[in-house]
Amino acid sequence: MIIFDIFIALLLAAGCVFLLGGALGILRMPDFYTRLHGASLLDTIALVCLLSASILYVLTRHPDVNGLITSLKIILIAVFVFITSPTATHAIADAGRRAGLKPWTRQNEEESP
Amino acid sequence: MIPVDIIVLTLIIICALGALAAKDLMVAAIVIGAYSFLICLLLAVMGAVDVAFTEATVGAGVSTVFFVATVFQTTRRTKD
Amino acid sequence: MKKLALILCLFAGGLLLMNAHYLPMWGDPASPASTHVSPYFIENAYEHTKTPNMVAVVLADYRSYDTMFEAAVVLAAGFACFFLLRSRARGKKGGHHYYRHIPTGVTIKIEEGGKLPAENSKVFRSIDALWTPYDPIIQTTCRCLIPFLQIYSLYVLAHGHYSPGGGFQAGVVLGATIILLAISHNLKTSLKRMSERTAALWSIIGVFIFAGTGLLCLLLGMDYLNYEVLAPLLLSDEAMARSHSILIVEVGVTMAVMAVMVWIYYNLSSAGQQDEGL
Repeated sequence: MIIFDIFIALLLAAGCVFLLGGALGILRMPDFYTRLHGASLLDTIALVCLLSASILYVLTRHPDVNGLITSLKIILIAVFVFITSPTATHAIADAGRRAGLKPWTRQNEEESP
Repeated sequence: MIPVDIIVLTLIIICALGALAAKDLMVAAIVIGAYSFLICLLLAVMGAVDVAFTEATVGAGVSTVFFVATVFQTTRRTKD
Repeated sequence: MKKLALILCLFAGGLLLMNAHYLPMWGDPASPASTHVSPYFIENAYEHTKTPNMVAVVLADYRSYDTMFEAAVVLAAGFACFFLLRSRARGKKGGHHYYRHIPTGVTIKIEEGGKLPAENSKVFRSIDALWTPYDPIIQTTCRCLIPFLQIYSLYVLAHGHYSPGGGFQAGVVLGATIILLAISHNLKTSLKRMSERTAALWSIIGVFIFAGTGLLCLLLGMDYLNYEVLAPLLLSDEAMARSHSILIVEVGVTMAVMAVMVWIYYNLSSAGQQDEGL
């Protein structure tokens, strides 16, 4: 049981680290597209870590049919986030491209510091 | 140990002030959406799950869409 | 004017903050609400209605006047948007139309006076003048998600007796699916699925179901919205009649809220012209 608890704690910590990385990426990246890329990818992987931690928690605390149903629901949440989150990122990036935002390069930076 | 609702309340006040201070109305609409989600979190912490569900769907979901649609049809700059 | 508003706002907020300590603490067992009203609901809700979710019982049975007038307020909001915004004028900017040739994805612009394709053409589809992305990814994802969202909203409605949920939430989620269709495709697609006339009719019918249930109780000789008297009509005893009536009433709320959300979105997103959305 203690092994599982340590594993859950590790997963939660990893999720928090990924979320922190996403937030830092939004703050530190140079332009719209790189910020979006950091935020979306790290959010998705952080969500996977957190949801698998909660699945493990439910299964170790309630090892019966109810726990199984709850973990199935959590897996469904993960599936829907995996479908919708990349689509939302794609839509935002597409809107940015249509609005005329130029991707960041070194030349751009030298031209307009 | 700071309780969760104190943190959430602080964030709610920051969001409300940010929505008031924003010059761009689209920004204000999005910040109001974040504000609604924080209210939803606060209600869920207090155990009112029904109200939290309503707040998440109505406040954060549909009213943000309405605000964005309205701002899109009018102007993005505030007068004051 | 802004200074005056700030002073008034600070004054009212200060008054509220000064008197906030008179309010009972959160979860205080000695507060008036938890000494008189709440124990009655907690003890009797299940016996009266055979419904485990007390919030649904309080909303749709004990305090059903509140919920009925909330639905009526939502309907009034829909009517207000309609009367303020809706205009018959087809104010096309520049008078030209955009069509998309579906097999190739090419966008064509037809100047004023040009020959337009047929309305139900399979090859050309009318698109918005501003821009509508030709985006199979977003359209396919939304197309796949919308049925799940609708089933989920029906689950929220039907399972409101046992878990958080109920009429308002289900109606908003159901309306959001139509709005999602309008955003991901365009306004005309969703108008084809649910026209403005349908939205208006559904919102009125929804409120009418709620008010009609109450009126039926009145006609059968009891108080307005006292569901017990409906037991012979619903072929059950009094407690189960209340439980069934809660479901009927929630269905009415769902229809009203869903239709009004879609209706308001149609009027807001197209500035009342309902030809082109966002």
